[in-house]
Amino acid sequence: MRISCNILKKHIKNSEKIDFIKIWETFTIKTAEVEGIEIKGNNFNNVVTAKIIKCDKHPKSEKLSVLKVTDGQEEYQIVCGAPNVRVGLVGALIKVGGVIDDITISKRPLLGIDSHGMMCSGKELGISDDHDGIIELPNETSLGIDLKKILPIEDIIVEIDNKSLTNRPDLWGHYGIAREISAITGHELIPLEIEEPEKINKKLDIKILNPEACYRYTSIKLDNLKNNKTPLWMQIFLYYAGMKSINLIVDITNYIMLELGQPMHAFDSRKVKNIEVGFAKDLDKYTTLDNIERTLTKNDLMIKNDGEYFAVAGVMGGLDSEIVSDTDSIILESASFEASGVRKTAISLGLRTEASARFEKSLDPNLTSVAARRYIKLLKEENPNLAFGTDLTDIYPKEFLEKEIILKKDLLEKYLDFKMPDEQVKSILESLKFKVKVNKDNYKVIVPTFRANKDVTIAVDLIEEIGRIYGYENFKPKAIKMDLSFYKDEPSYEEGYNLKRYLSTKYNLNEVHTYLWNKTSFLKDLNITKDNIKLVGKNEDNILRDDLNLSLLEVAKTNIKNYNKIDIFEIATTIKKNENNRVISILLSDQQEGLKVIYNKAKEITVNLFRDLKNIKPIFELGKSDDYYNQDLSQNIIINNKIIGQINSFSKTVSNKISKKHSFVCINIDYEEYINLELEKPNYQEVSKYPITELDYTIINKRGEYYKVLDDILNNFTSPIIMDRILLGIYLEEEIKKVTIRYIVGSHEKTLTSEELQNFKEEFIKYLNENKLKIIDQ
Amino acid sequence: MKEKLKKIVENATNEAKTIKTENDYLNIKSKYLGKKSELFELIKSIKDMIVEDKKKYGPLLNKIKIELDSIFTKYYDAVINADEKVTFDPTLPVSNDKGSLHPVTIIAKEITDVLKNIGFMVLEGPEMENDYYNFSALNVAENHPARDMQDTYWLDNGLLLRTHTSPVQVRAMEKYGAPIKMCAPGRVYRNEDLDASHENTFHQVEGMVIDKDISISNVIYVMKGMLKEVFKQDVEVRLRPGFFPFVEPGFELDCSCTICGGKGCTTCKYTGWIELCPCGMIHPDVLKTSGIDPDIYSGFAFGLGLTRLAMMKYKISDIRALNSGDLRFLEQFNVR
Repeated sequence: MRISCNILKKHIKNSEKIDFIKIWETFTIKTAEVEGIEIKGNNFNNVVTAKIIKCDKHPKSEKLSVLKVTDGQEEYQIVCGAPNVRVGLVGALIKVGGVIDDITISKRPLLGIDSHGMMCSGKELGISDDHDGIIELPNETSLGIDLKKILPIEDIIVEIDNKSLTNRPDLWGHYGIAREISAITGHELIPLEIEEPEKINKKLDIKILNPEACYRYTSIKLDNLKNNKTPLWMQIFLYYAGMKSINLIVDITNYIMLELGQPMHAFDSRKVKNIEVGFAKDLDKYTTLDNIERTLTKNDLMIKNDGEYFAVAGVMGGLDSEIVSDTDSIILESASFEASGVRKTAISLGLRTEASARFEKSLDPNLTSVAARRYIKLLKEENPNLAFGTDLTDIYPKEFLEKEIILKKDLLEKYLDFKMPDEQVKSILESLKFKVKVNKDNYKVIVPTFRANKDVTIAVDLIEEIGRIYGYENFKPKAIKMDLSFYKDEPSYEEGYNLKRYLSTKYNLNEVHTYLWNKTSFLKDLNITKDNIKLVGKNEDNILRDDLNLSLLEVAKTNIKNYNKIDIFEIATTIKKNENNRVISILLSDQQEGLKVIYNKAKEITVNLFRDLKNIKPIFELGKSDDYYNQDLSQNIIINNKIIGQINSFSKTVSNKISKKHSFVCINIDYEEYINLELEKPNYQEVSKYPITELDYTIINKRGEYYKVLDDILNNFTSPIIMDRILLGIYLEEEIKKVTIRYIVGSHEKTLTSEELQNFKEEFIKYLNENKLKIIDQ
Repeated sequence: MKEKLKKIVENATNEAKTIKTENDYLNIKSKYLGKKSELFELIKSIKDMIVEDKKKYGPLLNKIKIELDSIFTKYYDAVINADEKVTFDPTLPVSNDKGSLHPVTIIAKEITDVLKNIGFMVLEGPEMENDYYNFSALNVAENHPARDMQDTYWLDNGLLLRTHTSPVQVRAMEKYGAPIKMCAPGRVYRNEDLDASHENTFHQVEGMVIDKDISISNVIYVMKGMLKEVFKQDVEVRLRPGFFPFVEPGFELDCSCTICGGKGCTTCKYTGWIELCPCGMIHPDVLKTSGIDPDIYSGFAFGLGLTRLAMMKYKISDIRALNSGDLRFLEQFNVR
């Protein structure tokens, strides 16, 4: 929102004592964020009022005129291209030597005739967008006066962040900002000048059908409006504030909206019969002022005239509600609507207007009649003969009242961490127009309606008011008193970090972050279809992922042109069966290495991470997986008889789409299961005092049979003297495969005798024979 | 005799210098001290000598024997203890394979470590949340703009992607009650169009303290201390009013610009301050909703943008880099 300091100054006593450039830093800390300050009116100098006393056509040009203008003392010859030049017009003359937008005006010839200066347009002076003609001042204006002395061209325009005002409807106008500045500086706020309308005992016909949506409707008919020209000072202000000047009747409604925050509407009296405020019917069509037909719903509050839709309440008028410039009689609307309803309608119609932006903040219903009286006051200044067509008709079903809040002194002290004297509390709250009664243990505070309607409803809201005006910069940092009782921390975060660090330091993996949804185009490229929970209102990239590996594959794809080797991981959420499911996912890929090497590395990482971080040995078992994986290479990771993850390799049809030279192997482990695994304590056994023996056997196996088959058989051979078994090597021959294993045998009680060793050997060979296996005799 | 001995010692000493291997050592030892050696012959002959000669040569011969033995050992030791000749290039660089942690992971760890030091628990919560934890329990009214589809990712199962880490506050209050000191780092989602400073997926860390005498001064203390640790320099902080439904009073916390030190630069838009994190005293209704009596307890909470902080700390100018997966960017964060 743009704030003019000239307007603020009108509302604050002795405002010349306030530094209106520095004050905004304080305002930012105490009230709302100021985004920028703009100094207006310093783009020109040496511009004075001057009257055209002679006006001739330029002999060599259709468009140019040769003027004689006077500043009351001297006459100047000016060549001017504006169409509105005429004898008697009082305008703005920049003399030779004057500067405008960094250009120094000098005497110069235009098509052979010297021009001694320039008559300025509003745009050139930076006070309007009008460049069609030179600026026209009232005829009675004295001549030769510095333009800046008679018009509020010099101003400081402050941009306040609208977001920081969402909770402060009272600050959506200059008067509210002035009130805040007065509280901050201690300068008194000047009461608003208003005009009481005459009583003529004639009411307008107004009905509120839905008082839950329309809190108040204030209206009056004003007649005999002969002058519909907006004074220049107001035009300049509206321009600085970012609004367009239209005519006096409309401009004053906008001026009051910017001054008080209360949006208003002026209807042409000739069109208004009776007013009804009520909800629309579903699917009704209505054309708004911007000439767009819109479809209404039963939640849209409408102003009806003579039974027909006339305006969308709080948002925008209709085509036929527009003020016609030839009217001399208007009906003024100053109403208050329920905030969220206006907001919903504005969103559903796609129409966010200055009015709806204010109404959706919850305006004080008591503002409507003040605004109407203020309108009359400003209108009368330009139309002294204004007449009242009706009384001020005020439909106000339920008056909104001030609120009483009890603020306990010990609560205030607890929050502030010090005891603030009663007088200070009282003076801060009173500066903000709260009424305060100091009791022994508490303050009884009466909150004015313009604050009570939204942001000040409970005791802590008052603490905020006291705190911010006292100044948060005056609070001293203070350590929390430590409570040293033991507490049980949750391991999830810390373990996650340790795992990440383990993977990145031990295996040089890179951690990546990916999105919770799969990219639609990516899945389509890979011919993968997914069905899962979806984001509402999106047609692309809207399906939440159920497989983190695919997200990592997408990352691999973005890196494949820069890297031969891609080893990445992430711990992140997937959505499975309507539940959050966090997963550790690791993807390995290397152009130089074959699938076998990468796959074995994946297995090694899996075994080692469980060994190093949980002291648990996982079991692998061939399993099933989604069809975009190579089904022969899908292995379940099993711990405590539970599948807690998988190792997979993307199928060739998928990986070829990313790169024909790479294989992509993934590990995924359920994170919650991982966290739930207790760290096993080391399985310590006393070192045997007796010698151990190593027995090596080479077993003849079918070529092409998985080691797992043999491993399972060997696992079932038990003997009390087996201490360990390791795989020494596998040697492939044409038809067969030789597998050399080593048993480490021994006892904790004694040295094994040669007979015991012989027995072991015989039993082992017998067991192998039973399983149709042979060993090569050493 | 003396001549003979002198010669033996001289020869033996010279030959000892040629010892290169264990074999050399054993050969020389056997040649000069072995049973077939000249010296051994002489020692053997002592027993046939007259008493004076026995007294004269006995100790001498023995002394020479010990002396030679130590000479041989000395040269042999020198050989076996000598460092081998360097046959490789010790100046070659090592493999530059490097793993990395995501910058947000690094900064989250730093912050949670600081907070753990003052007794905060580190908690986590689900990213797919329900309306209650994300909005209602945090005093976000039914018609509050934050619930709009423009801001929140709603899901077709009626749930939503959490828009902040604050739901973990509610879960923590339910689970642990008061007093409590907790923080919760994690991923959050906003329905935003991506550009250099806007992401739909980013990280925050939530912080919350509830106890019997928590004041505004405590907020300032914790925030200031935390930022000092993260930026490894003194940071000025300032509070200004900010509106968030779950806190009252609510603050926007600014810190002095870490780029220009508060003098004013493009990063801080020449204000010297950077808006860093919303915080405030927990709204009494939020405490009440989660079963904590606001007449007894008060507390504060903050929601710090981890992504923002990582960008500030490492001077990352485009937020999109963080979720890009581009290893040329990510692998530089090999900080552990």
